[in-house]
Formats: sequence, C-alpha cells, structure tokens
Amino acid sequence: MLDWLAYVNHRLSRLPLSEAESLQVREELAAHLEDTHLSPRAQGLSESEAVRLTCDQVSSWQELRRDILSAKLEGFMQNRVSRLWIPGLVTLFSAYVLLALMQFAGLRAMSSHPGEPRGIVLYLPWILSLPLIGAIGAYLSRRAQATGWRVYLAVSFPALVLGAFFLLLFPLALLIDPQVSLPIKATALAAATVNWVILPGFALCLGVALQSLLKMRVPRS
Amino acid sequence: MIRTELKRGTAELAILSVLERQPLHGYEISRRIEQDSAGALRFTLAALYPLLYRMENRGWVRGEWGTSDNGRRRRCYKLLPRGRKMLAPLRAEWADLFRAMRRVAKVNHA
Repeated sequence: MLDWLAYVNHRLSRLPLSEAESLQVREELAAHLEDTHLSPRAQGLSESEAVRLTCDQVSSWQELRRDILSAKLEGFMQNRVSRLWIPGLVTLFSAYVLLALMQFAGLRAMSSHPGEPRGIVLYLPWILSLPLIGAIGAYLSRRAQATGWRVYLAVSFPALVLGAFFLLLFPLALLIDPQVSLPIKATALAAATVNWVILPGFALCLGVALQSLLKMRVPRS
Repeated sequence: MIRTELKRGTAELAILSVLERQPLHGYEISRRIEQDSAGALRFTLAALYPLLYRMENRGWVRGEWGTSDNGRRRRCYKLLPRGRKMLAPLRAEWADLFRAMRRVAKVNHA
C-alpha cells in the first residue's frame, strides 16, 4: 500500500505554517487519502484502480495549497484582531479616558519630588482602577479563546504603547536639549517608565488574575 | 460569484448538519454527506478541508485528534455552540431559496 503521508509530504512540501500546524494538516490529508483508498479496495477494485480513484481527490495540489493557506490566514487574521487588537485597544482607550475624566474631576497626582521630572508620580485612584480595566480586557481576549501570554500582551497594551513611545523619545531628547545633562534625562526616563509603564502595566496584569478568579467563582450557566 | 457563494453555503450547511448528529472525522463527513444525499453531494478532499479549516477558525467546529473505531489516528470534528447557532439561519436561507426557485423556475420537490 502507498505511504500516503509521504505522498502528501511530497505534494505539499512547503506549507508556510508553523511546523506543528503544517504536520497536522499533512497528517490529516494523508489519513483522508488512506481511508479513501481503503474503500474501493474493500469493494474489490484493483490496487491501481483504488490508487487512481484516491489520487483523483485532488485535481490540483497547487490550488489545494492555496485554499488551505487562505483558510488558515483568514483565521490567523481574525484571531489576531479578536484576541489581541480589540482587547488591547479597549484597554488603552478605557484606561486613558478614565484618567482624563479623573483629571477633569480634579484628581491631582501624588509626587515624590513635586515640580521635578525625576520623581514617582502616582494617580492612586487611577492605578487602583486599572485591575478592573485589565479584567475587562482579559475577558474580551479570553472570550476570543486567547490563552497564556497573549492575554497578558493584550491587557498590558496601554503600558507597552507608552513604553515604546518613551524608547523612541529618549534618543530624541538627547539630541534636542543639550543643556540638560544625560543623568538627569536618564533619571527622568526611568521615572516616566515606572510611572507610566511599569506601575500601570502591573496593575493591568493584576486584572488578568482578577478575571481568572471571577471566572472560577461564577459557575457557567 | 453567486455560484461560489452558493456552493460554499451548501457545503457549510451540509457539514454542520451531519456534525449536528455526532462528531466525525473528515472522511466520515464526506461519506455521510454522500450517503445522506444519495450521491448528489460529493466532497473531495480538496473541497472539504479548506472549508473545515475556515469553519474551525470561525469557531463553528473544533477538530481534535483521537483514535477511530478501527484504531487509526484521526482528527474528529465536533460542532460547537457557535456552529449550532448558524444552523437555523442557514436552513432558513435555504428554505427561502427553494421557495423562490419554485416560484421562478417552477421547480418542484421530487
């Protein structure tokens, strides 16, 4: 009997998917061909006739390859949007709209060094509300069947955006204001990173744990 | 365009309908559809798997590796709640289409 997996490997040799996914597709197609081949054999057809009928299952392997990739890519894009981008943008928007509203309502930051850029600046009520926003982001991401680090990535999106912004800003700050010394600039960057990246990121990630806890406590109906 | 959509719609409804009864692997799905339609609908491997992968990505079905009755390793597809929800509107669409075709083309049931 023909080795159908070897046959499929030969026909679909370069599927640009992950190794595991590519192997899964090839094994599944090989299994289908194996079953297709057994059926005419069981009905008494000759081996060559059964092989011919089985091979007729695919008129163009090039086309099948294209169709499989198109189906997989559609899923990949959909998954990325629903598991990462939508929860990330909801979290980002909610976090900063809430901060703006709190500032509008008169919230003032607590600062370790008032008037200086190097101190820790803390909007305590805002930081305390971030786990809730993180939990909403985690819910949206998990509802789209995201797991593990992808949930954390989606939820910490606001902190990552600001982190990337600071990284881009720092070399620019070195260039545009030569009077201010490098240690001061570096301290200011470190403080900004703590204030706007690390603390909010940590608070948002606490929301992931909070959402897991709520999920465990609320039984499915 | 219409032809492609029509073909895809037929295939999706057929697959969801057979999976509504029980989880099946790809070959069984094609056999079951062929048997139930008395040979009128036939799915080759090339037609079936891209569609199954698309339906899996949409969360309508889920494929899981297991062992079939004859001891072979097969990927079995199970209907998910989202897929079950799709069945009623798909059936309604097809019922509408048949009614419309009966009126327009005087096509009757056999």
